[in-house]
Amino acid sequence: MKDSYDIIFAGVGGQGLMLLSAILGKAAVDADMEVLTGEQHGLSQRQGSIYVHFRMGKPISPLIPYGTADMMIAMEATEALRYIEYLRDDGVIIMSNRIMPPPGETEEVALDEERKTKYVTVEAIEKKLREITENIVLLDSLTLAKEAGNPRTENSVLIGAVCSCKDFPIETESVRKAVLDLVPPKTRDANSRAFDLGRDAGGECLG
Amino acid sequence: MTLEDVKRTDSGRALMLANEAIVRGALESDVKVVAAYPGSPTSEILDTFSELLDHFGDYRMQIAANEKVALETVAGASMAGFRSLTSMKSVGMNVASDSMFSLGYTGVNGGCVVIMADDPHAHSSQSEQDGRYFGEAAYVPMLEPSTPQEAKEMVKWAFEVSERHKTLVIIRTTTRVNHQRGMIQLEELNRTEFKKKQWKDVREQYFTVGAVARRLKAKLLEKRDNLREESERSIHNHIDAAKGDIGIITAGVSYLHTKEALRNLGLNLPILKIGTLFPLPEKRIAGFLRTLKTLIVIEELAPYLEDRITAIAKDANSDLRIVGKRSGHFSEMLEYNVPIVEKVLAEVTDKKPSHDYDAVLERASRLKETLPQRNPIFCPGCPHRGTLWAFRQALDRLKIRDKIVFNNDIGCYSMAFLPPNEFSDSMLAMGASVGLSAGMEMTLEDKIIAMVGDSTLYHAALPGIINLIHHNANVTLFVLDNSVTAMTGQQFNPNSPKDAGGHPAQKIDMEKMFEAMGADSVTVIDPYETRDCINPVKDAIEAEGFNVIISRRACALYGDRIKKEEGQKIIPSENDKETCRGIYACIKEFYCPAIVVDESDGKMVIQQDLCDGCLECRKVCPVDAPHHIQVER
Ligand SMILES: Cc1ncc(C[n+]2csc(CCOP(=O)(O)OP(=O)(O)O)c2C)c(N)n1
Repeated sequence: MKDSYDIIFAGVGGQGLMLLSAILGKAAVDADMEVLTGEQHGLSQRQGSIYVHFRMGKPISPLIPYGTADMMIAMEATEALRYIEYLRDDGVIIMSNRIMPPPGETEEVALDEERKTKYVTVEAIEKKLREITENIVLLDSLTLAKEAGNPRTENSVLIGAVCSCKDFPIETESVRKAVLDLVPPKTRDANSRAFDLGRDAGGECLG
Repeated sequence: MTLEDVKRTDSGRALMLANEAIVRGALESDVKVVAAYPGSPTSEILDTFSELLDHFGDYRMQIAANEKVALETVAGASMAGFRSLTSMKSVGMNVASDSMFSLGYTGVNGGCVVIMADDPHAHSSQSEQDGRYFGEAAYVPMLEPSTPQEAKEMVKWAFEVSERHKTLVIIRTTTRVNHQRGMIQLEELNRTEFKKKQWKDVREQYFTVGAVARRLKAKLLEKRDNLREESERSIHNHIDAAKGDIGIITAGVSYLHTKEALRNLGLNLPILKIGTLFPLPEKRIAGFLRTLKTLIVIEELAPYLEDRITAIAKDANSDLRIVGKRSGHFSEMLEYNVPIVEKVLAEVTDKKPSHDYDAVLERASRLKETLPQRNPIFCPGCPHRGTLWAFRQALDRLKIRDKIVFNNDIGCYSMAFLPPNEFSDSMLAMGASVGLSAGMEMTLEDKIIAMVGDSTLYHAALPGIINLIHHNANVTLFVLDNSVTAMTGQQFNPNSPKDAGGHPAQKIDMEKMFEAMGADSVTVIDPYETRDCINPVKDAIEAEGFNVIISRRACALYGDRIKKEEGQKIIPSENDKETCRGIYACIKEFYCPAIVVDESDGKMVIQQDLCDGCLECRKVCPVDAPHHIQVER
């Protein structure tokens, strides 16, 4: 048995990764679990690649050793692949299908006069991820968030899906409570619906 | 959340970032004066103190113009008998060190603590500078924590040591400690009222020169010996006991990687964990070395501990085998992690690592071969994007791209070295662009151009600028005035009408200042009126003498925050595909992350949830295709 349950968060600056990590942190602390994280602050620009090492149980180092994370939560699809070395074989990936192309890639696509150069697709990313694990929850998080009534509730969709994962060590209702405690009060209902939609979608993927 | 936890007055437990734990430790120590200049990975210390300023109301705080001023500010408060604290990143200490060395000699009065954060891996710094040598070089005690809990405890101990020995105390951290969030045990907060004192009640002499310096140096050596005794007794150096003649000495975050690596290997080796980097607990180290045949020293960057331990081993245990950097087992580069440490421990103890980490990394890099890079980039709405575009246009029109030198400086605009700009002939340290310009202007036939942000201008560029003007230099200076110190999190600076806690402050009048200094011209441009900037920039580059272009527009993140506070909406833009002719100036020359291409028709599309509505892209577009959307979001 491992001594810790480890999650690697990945995303793009401005997507609210820090809030996501704060929500799970609060849920874990309220459930009397030890938490240790290695976060990336620093350059404050948006649109950069960012990650958080999030560890529960009895971790010692703030950084997850390569190939041992139990779960990856990715708010942007290419960022899931960027940090894939942290995930263990058969680990769970909860990811959004959103792709935010960096301008360098856009330039290549735009300037190809024959129009052969295409953006990286979610399908291509998923195919590579499947070399590491079949346990992938690929969410159309924006559509589900809109369905929940607020396009800004994508975080809650992802967190809901996290709770559909059988060996996730925090109880679903504790996580929901942490979500509702930390999101702006006016958006609580939408976030709660988004959470449920994410959990249902996750349940379907993971069986 | 955590800010709420920092405020708590009880003694419960809380999850905190080490930077917040440092603030909490200072508050538990009844700190009275804080001054700092931002720099990653310490900025959240400044930000947290700033946000809590009015809540407590019983400490005073300034966001200082630079680290040297910050250190002098807290030293002044300490001389007045107050507990005080400053924080700075690694290279900040280079700036502060002139006064820091003298303070070693003069000593202080009220507890005076400096947080100095190194950045192995240069995540957000110009270098991997190892600041541990500063303590020893200046005879100033230096501590190093591993966890948020320890960081808090060390801050409290540092205040006590500082007062006991009338010395500055430095706490050295690294990025992986500052940005580690963990559980900490709060202790009760017993704050006292802030009350000014009178100099006659606290007066001491704080000067050092010549004969005085020599006398102080002798006292300093005595102080060092006393501090050594303090280190020998300190709970911050401890032994994790175990049997065997292979032992480990480590410190900081490496201690955590080491403990986890040992657990993974099912090993139990004795560890001496060092918390006092200077003075080292030499007797304890010697005692530990005597029990061993092999010692593994685990520390990032330079062999600071290793070299000092090797010297101790010469007398204590001359047969000792030392495994470290000099033996080739560990690198002086980059930061460490569990796999790096585990591999060496496995090799030395003849075991197999718990995972084949190299295979994991190899497989991952194969999977990532076609993954597009995501370089740091200007935010949507960033005024720097427009300024640099206009600058490039001006150079093209003047046909002098290969007849200029462009000295870049430190800030968000440093990214001018990345696509699509890719020009920057130098970028050393804050303010260095103007100093380098003096030497180049003297020796090159090219036009010399320097660029600084507003924070950098007031931090360290002013002496260099005065020097240029004084020597009648023929240099064009760009000042990118985006209202705040953007890169580190949009803190206020002397260019802001505000200070820590949002308290009012006097904004320095930039134009008047340049005029008073004797600049030949000062021209203000608005980078959102991107096209209109080209001619003034051209003129300033062509003109003889010292000519200043101030490009003025608030940082987009800061501007958005203000808009949100004022209840204003951000209206994003869209591309009018009918007008768009697929010229792609917006893509090739602009690199805005909100802009993508529609693969079906090859036309540019603006992702509205990312767009800041600045419409700089419209100014760059030869046919004015982008415009604000009609409906507000
Ligand atoms: C001596 C030193 N102190 C602090 C820093 C951290 N730092 C990096 S960029 C930066 C901001 C500079 O602000 P400004 O020049 O106004 O540029 P902006 O980021 O706003 O464009 C700071 C403080 C540093 N690199 N060196």
